[in-house]
Amino acid sequence: MIYLDNASTTPVAREVVETMLAALRDTYGNPSSGHRAGLDAARLLERARAIVAAALQADPDEVVFTSGGTEANNLALQGAVRADGRPGGHLVVSPIEHSSVLETAAFLEGQGVAVTRLPVDGEGRVDPDDVRRALRPDTRLVSIAPANHEVGTVQPVDAIAAACADAGIPLHLDACQAFTRVAFPADLATLVSVNGHKIHGPKGVGVLRVRRGFPLPPLLHGGGQEGGLRSGTPNVPAIAGFGRAVQLASPAENARQAGLRDAFLDRAQEALPGARVFGSRTDRLCNNACVGFDGVPGRELVVALDRLGIQVSRGSACASGSTRPSAVLTAMGVPATVALTAIRVSVGRTTTMDDIEAAIAALKRVVASMRGGR
Amino acid sequence: MSAERLDLRGVKCPANAARALLRLECMDAGQELELWLDDGEPIDSVPPSLEQEGHEIVDRDRQGMHWCLRVRARR
Ligand SMILES: Cc1ncc(COP(=O)(O)O)c(C=O)c1O
Repeated sequence: MIYLDNASTTPVAREVVETMLAALRDTYGNPSSGHRAGLDAARLLERARAIVAAALQADPDEVVFTSGGTEANNLALQGAVRADGRPGGHLVVSPIEHSSVLETAAFLEGQGVAVTRLPVDGEGRVDPDDVRRALRPDTRLVSIAPANHEVGTVQPVDAIAAACADAGIPLHLDACQAFTRVAFPADLATLVSVNGHKIHGPKGVGVLRVRRGFPLPPLLHGGGQEGGLRSGTPNVPAIAGFGRAVQLASPAENARQAGLRDAFLDRAQEALPGARVFGSRTDRLCNNACVGFDGVPGRELVVALDRLGIQVSRGSACASGSTRPSAVLTAMGVPATVALTAIRVSVGRTTTMDDIEAAIAALKRVVASMRGGR
Repeated sequence: MSAERLDLRGVKCPANAARALLRLECMDAGQELELWLDDGEPIDSVPPSLEQEGHEIVDRDRQGMHWCLRVRARR
């Protein structure tokens, strides 16, 4: 079995499993309890918090653990819009954001918030000048992912951050895909979302980094954990595992993955007629390849490859059952017939060059037979 | 040896003790940490937790609603 769907989720690293098992077995205390067992749990929690804080150039007090990227994004958008208690307001997003941003924006729109969805170019890039032009006096937040989850395009996020900073508008970065992979100006953002399961950590854990002093109201009310921003007893084993996963990430591994990605893209274009790469060849997440083959529906390709033991996906995992073309590709101006050919091949820590060779060989077989069969 | 400083005012128990221990673990044996704590539960509960791990409270000084401690990392 060859797993090439690391953009959907990653296998949990062995070191992370060990950290989590030890925490599950030995550290059962509630990290808010004043006794020894509580302190032991609090030490795991605070160690992980320090690790994530350092990776986000943040202070530990600015790190709020959540149940994942979706909750972090909801807390960011819903909270920022309500931060000053006034009704209305304006939100700026790109049309290629993850559904946890887009659906939250649509929900808020239904509640009377004005939403601007910026255009993107043919590679999925937001123009910082469009951000600048979209800003209004009542803009409460700009939300952009530094790297896209489907096509892997890396945004000119420094220029976008500068545009927001110049206007004094808070910026939210949904960095679930970018975290530990590409540089982004975490220090210039007011809010940053990251999660565990995209970086070989566990599912169900994430962080919203909230800049000190930003008046964000909570979504969940209760015991006042996480500085009052996220009530509920923290999932200590998952948080400890997330911290370990952050420690495991390395530029060398990112470079290795970029090599596998490029090998896949090069081989796909050489070996398969009618191959097309979606997104950018230069400004691209190290683990993402998004491709299509003329006349071959992505949905059928995913199934056929799975039968050969190669697991890839169509765009985002949440959209994989859909017969509609990807919203990301549509926003990039890709015609529906072409967008429907797209598959996403995403590599990770466990991927080898042999896996890439096997995937290319399987693609050659499957694409030829699917084309021959019609 | 220059003293390191950690301000844990406003940090709840036992996260304050956890963060103090994390910092002390990263310090050289014998090095001193200037530690700021709130009055009340923090000043009651944090010093014993540090001592239990072998760190030494060299000095404690009340400053209004806060406390400034000097803690020597475990030898
Ligand atoms: C860019 C992006 N944001 C948010 C999420 C949602 O995170 P989670 O699955 O932790 O809720 C994902 C992936 O699932 C993602 O790729």
